Amino acid sequence: MDYPDGVSAATVGVYVHVPFCERVCPYCDFAVVGVRTLTAEVERRYVDALLRELELRRPAFAGRELASLYLGGGTPSLCRPESLARIVRAARAAFEVRGPVEVTLEANPSTLERERLPGFRDAGVNRLSLGIQSFDDATLKRLGRAHRGDEARLTLQAARTAGFEALSCDLIFAAPDQGLPQLEADIDELLAFAPEHVSAYELNVEPGTPFATAAERGQLACAGEDEALAMWDAIESRLEAAAYVHYELSAYARPGFEAVHNQRYWRRQPVLGLGVGAFSTDPRGSRGDAPFGLRRSNLRSPDAYLARIEAGESAESEPAEALSPETARAEAMFLSLRTRSGLDAAAFEREFGRPPRGFYPDEITTLVAQALLAEDSAGGLRLTRRGQRLSDTVFANFVELGD
Amino acid sequence: MDRTLIRNFCIIAHIDHGKSTLADRLLEVTGLVSGRDRRAQYLDNMELERERGITIKAQTVRLPYTASDGKSYILNLIDTPGHVDFSYEVSRALAACEGAVLVVDAAQGIEAQTLANAYLAVDAGLEIIPVVNKIDLPSADPDGVAEEIEEVIGFDAADVLHVSAKQGIGTHELLEQIVSNVPPPKGDPDAPTRALVFDSWFDPYVGAAMLVRVVDGKLRSGERVRMMAGGLEKEITELNVIDPRPRRVEHLEAGEVGVVIAGVKTLAEVKIGDTLTMTSAPAEEPLVGFQDVKPMVFTGLYPIESDGYEGLKSALEKLQLNDASLVYEPETSDALGFGFRCGFLGFLHAEIVQERLEREYDVDLISTAPTVRYRIVLTSGESKEIESPANLPSAGELHCIEEPVVLATIHVPQEFVGGVLKLCQERRGVQRDMVQHGTRVQVRYDLPLSEIVLDFHDKIKSVTRGYGSFDYELTGYQASDLVKLDVLVNGDPVDALSLIVHREKAYSRGTELTRKLKEFIPRQMYEVAIQAAVGARVIARTTVKALRKNVTSKCYGGDITRKRKLLEKQKAGKRRMKRVGSVEIPQEAFLAALKLEDS
Repeated sequence: MDYPDGVSAATVGVYVHVPFCERVCPYCDFAVVGVRTLTAEVERRYVDALLRELELRRPAFAGRELASLYLGGGTPSLCRPESLARIVRAARAAFEVRGPVEVTLEANPSTLERERLPGFRDAGVNRLSLGIQSFDDATLKRLGRAHRGDEARLTLQAARTAGFEALSCDLIFAAPDQGLPQLEADIDELLAFAPEHVSAYELNVEPGTPFATAAERGQLACAGEDEALAMWDAIESRLEAAAYVHYELSAYARPGFEAVHNQRYWRRQPVLGLGVGAFSTDPRGSRGDAPFGLRRSNLRSPDAYLARIEAGESAESEPAEALSPETARAEAMFLSLRTRSGLDAAAFEREFGRPPRGFYPDEITTLVAQALLAEDSAGGLRLTRRGQRLSDTVFANFVELGD
Repeated sequence: MDRTLIRNFCIIAHIDHGKSTLADRLLEVTGLVSGRDRRAQYLDNMELERERGITIKAQTVRLPYTASDGKSYILNLIDTPGHVDFSYEVSRALAACEGAVLVVDAAQGIEAQTLANAYLAVDAGLEIIPVVNKIDLPSADPDGVAEEIEEVIGFDAADVLHVSAKQGIGTHELLEQIVSNVPPPKGDPDAPTRALVFDSWFDPYVGAAMLVRVVDGKLRSGERVRMMAGGLEKEITELNVIDPRPRRVEHLEAGEVGVVIAGVKTLAEVKIGDTLTMTSAPAEEPLVGFQDVKPMVFTGLYPIESDGYEGLKSALEKLQLNDASLVYEPETSDALGFGFRCGFLGFLHAEIVQERLEREYDVDLISTAPTVRYRIVLTSGESKEIESPANLPSAGELHCIEEPVVLATIHVPQEFVGGVLKLCQERRGVQRDMVQHGTRVQVRYDLPLSEIVLDFHDKIKSVTRGYGSFDYELTGYQASDLVKLDVLVNGDPVDALSLIVHREKAYSRGTELTRKLKEFIPRQMYEVAIQAAVGARVIARTTVKALRKNVTSKCYGGDITRKRKLLEKQKAGKRRMKRVGSVEIPQEAFLAALKLEDS
C-alpha cells in the first residue's frame, strides 16, 4: 500500500475521539465515559458535533492532503457502521485525497463489534486496531476487561475474514500477577494470527484511576523493574525473531505496515484532533505567533463539549499553546529518538538552525559515553539497545526547565 | 511607693502542673483581666507557646491586691518557663523575687522539675509557698501529695494550700499567704541605683526592652543609665509596668519590677544579669549576675532549596533578636551546600527554633544530626572544643575525645522503674542512686549528654506511659571511646551524615544508616555502593542496583505535552538532588537518615 509521503508537510492526519465505553477499565485515564448502551440518539448527536467541529477547525489545515484518519477512544466501534461512514466521508471531503488513506478503527473483542466488522470494512476502515491485551482469562479479569480469551480469538479470525488490509493488536505487559511465562504464551498465541502490527504497552498506573488507589493500598502486584525489563526483552526478541521491525519504543510492524497515523506524532506532523479530550497540533505558521505550531486540547466532558460545539464555539479546554523553539526542540529530540530511524541531524539543523550538538553538547557526549545514545558521522542520533530501555532518563536531558 | 506593700514572687512547677492557669486566675481575681477578656494562658504570648502549652520567655505582670488587713499591695508576678531546656530562665526570674509559689499537680505528685525548681528557689533564698493544684480532678489526691511534699522537700503537709486554679478554689488564701509570708523587698532606696536586668526581648518599635528589678535607689525616665558590665550608656526613654499591658511610669523604685526602654538597638548589646546604674550617681559594685548561657546542642541547618540561603540567614537574624540564646555561624557542606551551624540550649529549643523558622519565616530546612560540644585532646597536648563532626582531627593527631556528661534525675512510678533503668543502661548511663518516695521512685544517672539530646525525653515518656519525668544538669566532661562514623557513596564521604558515636554503637548506627539511605536513593546509571566506615574500616555496606529500565510505553497526540511535562518533572527532581561525587542523593534520603531512631 502506498500512502502519501509521511515527511511531506502538506499532509494532514485526523484523529477522532469517541469517548464512550461499555465499561471503563480500572487503569484507563483517557477521556472516556461509561454508557450501558450507546443509543442511536446520543450517537447521532455526537457524530453531528464531530462533523461540525471538523468544519470549524478545517481552515487551519486547508488544502492539505489527507494521509490518515484514526478513530480512537473510548470505544469508537460502539458506533454503528453508518456513523463511521459519515465521518470517513466527511474527512475525505474536507481535504485533498490523492491516494490511499490509512483509516484505522480501534475495536475491542466483543460479539457486538465482531458482527459489525464487515460493516466497518464497508464504511472505509482499512486498518483495525484490536485491544487484545492478553489471551489469559485471569489476566483479562484482573485488568477489568470485558472480554475473555476466546472472544479475542474469535474476533481475530473475524477480522481476517472481513478482509482488513492491516491488523494491529495491543498487547499489555507487567499487568498484575501476569508473570513472564503468561506474557510469553500471549506473544506466541498472537503471532499465530500473524497481525501486521503489534503495539506492546507496559501497564502504567496512572494517578486518579482505580488501579492507583489499589496500588496505594498495596493491593496491586505489578511487575517490578527487573521483571518488567525481562518482559520488554521477551517481546522484542520474539517479535524480531518473527520478522517484525521494532520501529518505535512500543510499536512493532512487518515491513511496510508501520502505522501512518501514529508516525505523524513522532515526526511532529500536523494532526487535527476532533471530539472530547482530543489533542491537535496545528501546522507551523498557521498563526503568525506560532512558528513551531500550536497545540490544542479539547474539553474532556462530553456535555461541555457538545454544548460548545452546538453553539458554534470552539471546544478547547484552554488557550492553544504556541510551541516555543525550546519546547519544539525538546519534542523533536525525544519524539524522533523514540523511533528506530532516530534523529536526522540535517533535518534538525534546517528547522532549528543548529545540529543537536549545537544545543546539547555535554548531554550528548555524556549519553554517548554511557552507551545510551549512538551518534553517526553526520551527527544523527539513535537510542542504543540500553538507551531504549532507559529512554526517559535520556529524554530528560533535553527538556527545558523554567526558573 | 511603700516598699513594705510590694511582694515579688514567681510560680514554679513541673510542666503541665497548671502554672499558667494559676497565673491567669490570679490576673482575674485581682481584677486585672475581666472574665470576658480572659483567654487561656494570658502570659504566653507566642503562638508556639500557646500551641505547645509551654512558656518559653519569662513574663511579668503587676497585680494590685487589697488584702484582708485592708492595705493595698502590689504583687509582681514573674512567670517562669516550664521546660528543662529553659531552666536558666527560671534562675533569672528567681533572682528578681523574694518568694515562690511551688505548684504541684494533685494527681501527678512531685515530678523531676518540681524538685529541680524547688531546689533552685531554696538556693536563691526564696520563701516558698507550697500549693497542691487541680484538686478538682477526680483522680486528685491532695492529702497524699501534701504528704509527699513533706517527705521529699520538707514542708509541713499542714501548710500546703489546696487549690484549683481552674475552678478558682483557694486563690484568695494563696494571695493572702503571698502577702503574709513573702517578705517585702530589701534594698536601700537612698543608695546609688542598682537594677538587675533579668530578661530582655526585642520590640520592633523601640528596640531591646529590658525587664529589671530595682534593688537599690531609683530609675527615672529621661535620665542616663549605664550598664555596669556591658559599659553601654543610654538615656531611659520609657519606663513601664505591666498590668497586664505596658503602662508608662515616671520612675521605678527599689523593690519594683518594670520594663526599661533606652534606645538599645539590638539584644546583643544587652547582657542578661547586668546591673543598671544611674550615670549621674553610679553605684560602685554591680549586683551578682548570672553565668552566661552556653548552647549545649548543635545542628547544621541548611535550606532545602539552594537559593534559600539568604532567606535562612535573615530569618536567623530576626529570630536571634528575640532569642539571644540562639547562636549560629555559617557552615558549608559538600552535600548540602551553604548553611549554618546553630547552637541551642537543648533539643526542645532546637525543635522550637526550627519550627519557628519554617512556620513564621517560611524557610524549608534540612537539619543535620544533633551533636554536642566535644572536647578534643590532641597528641600535642593541646585541647580544643568542636561542635561538628567535620572538625574532628585525623586519628593521628587525636589523643582522646571527651564528651559532656549530665546528672539526670528521673521520677517515675514504681512499676516503670525497670524500663527506665534499661533505657539508661542502653544510653551508657551509670547509676548514682535510687530513692523511693511512696509509690514513686527517684532515679539518678550520670549520662553522656549526647545520649539524651535526641529523643531521651520522649523515650522516658514512652517507657513510663507518660508518668515519668526528667531533668538534667551538666556536670562536666569525661573521656570516652568515641569514633567518627562516616557514610560513603561510591567511595565519596557524605559530610552531612557524619556522626560522632560511641565505638560500641558504631556498627548498629552504620547498618541502620546505610539501610535507610538505600531505601531513598533512587537507582542510577551505575550501581551505587553505600558504606559506613570508621576511619578506613568499612563496617556496613549495601548497594543500590543500577537503573536498567525507565521507559514510558505510549506516546501519541495527547501524551506529548504530558510526557514533556513528566520529563521536566523528572529533570527538576534530579536538579534538586544533592550530588556527592557521581551519585545523586534526594533530599528525602538526608531527612530519613537524619531522623534515624537512635538504635
